[in-house]
Amino acid sequence: MRETLRTSLKIAPIMLLLLFGGAMTSRAQSGKLQLDQLDALTNRASNTVEVKLDENLMQTTWKLFSGKDPDEIAIKDLLKNIKGIYVKSFSFEKENEYAPAEIDSVMSQLRGGGWSKIVGITSKKENENVEVYLMMVADQISGLAVVSLNPKEVTVVNIVGPINLEKLSQLEGSFGIPDLDLAKPKAKKDNEN
Amino acid sequence: MKTKLTLTGLLLALACSLPFPAHADHDGFNDVVKAIEQFYHVKHQSIPFLARTGMKAARTAAKIKGGEWKQLAEAGSFRVVFFEDQRFDSRGQIANFKTSVQKALGTEWSTLVQTLSPKDEQQTHVFLRQAGPKFHVLVIEIDRRDATVVQATLKPEVLAELLKDPADMGKSITDEATTADP
Repeated sequence: MRETLRTSLKIAPIMLLLLFGGAMTSRAQSGKLQLDQLDALTNRASNTVEVKLDENLMQTTWKLFSGKDPDEIAIKDLLKNIKGIYVKSFSFEKENEYAPAEIDSVMSQLRGGGWSKIVGITSKKENENVEVYLMMVADQISGLAVVSLNPKEVTVVNIVGPINLEKLSQLEGSFGIPDLDLAKPKAKKDNEN
Repeated sequence: MKTKLTLTGLLLALACSLPFPAHADHDGFNDVVKAIEQFYHVKHQSIPFLARTGMKAARTAAKIKGGEWKQLAEAGSFRVVFFEDQRFDSRGQIANFKTSVQKALGTEWSTLVQTLSPKDEQQTHVFLRQAGPKFHVLVIEIDRRDATVVQATLKPEVLAELLKDPADMGKSITDEATTADP
């Protein structure tokens, strides 16, 4: 009995590591970003908007659209495979009220774990720095992230599932996704990792 | 002795790690009202408000984005609580209120939209849960002096329409629940 307990205690940390490691890998490969750490900006921001359509809700949502109206058919097709739409946007009264380091929790995820930055995407808006990232898993897009920063605003959009820029533009202004006003890419894709 | 202590420690650790619900029976609506009262030290006033609107709230129409006037919620499906002319001061901790509401609702409800303006003490929170073939939507709207909590039952097709503009959803439902018939 004592020997079994001793062995179990030795194995326990390894099992825990495997368990958490597995969970982290599956999150990294799912195209879903962990955005909770951005919440630290909430008390300082003059305005915060958070929209969360998680996998359960997305599975329900696409079925709610009728298959009769052509616009609704298009939305239905688009939403069918999407597993989540997550938007967080923080506006500040004055410029530079947030430090770039406060966005690091998101940027560090995008710099690793299968995300690739699409080069050449810019914003048509002045002073806006926009970066668009795609998560590829076995030649399939499994997520898209848009980080839009200007001195008075931080916006992160994360769409989980097979989505590209063309589809993103169809969703802009709906389902909580802001009008990102993206200019077309000059080059197709570049892996920056 | 050592083994006993180790076993006790392991059992305690296991017991602490087991998730157990804060509330055995989540009503959602009442839990949120309590969370508001505790965080802001305010009291709700449901009956005077209903009397003032002539108890016609459920039949009120609201304008959905897109033009025509439609009734959003099922007739008689509204639950409304009103906090009138009280002081809503989050003392710079508006994010903590958000957390306490989510904790009060538990996992049964999904957070859909949250908009916060700490400076003006303005907040809107929209939560959703499935109720058979229909949906319950819970909307909390707070500003510096007043707050409203509304729960409505929506048909799937109405929810689909509202989901196209989730940021406006809370306002549409609160307007319908708190505006008297024209």
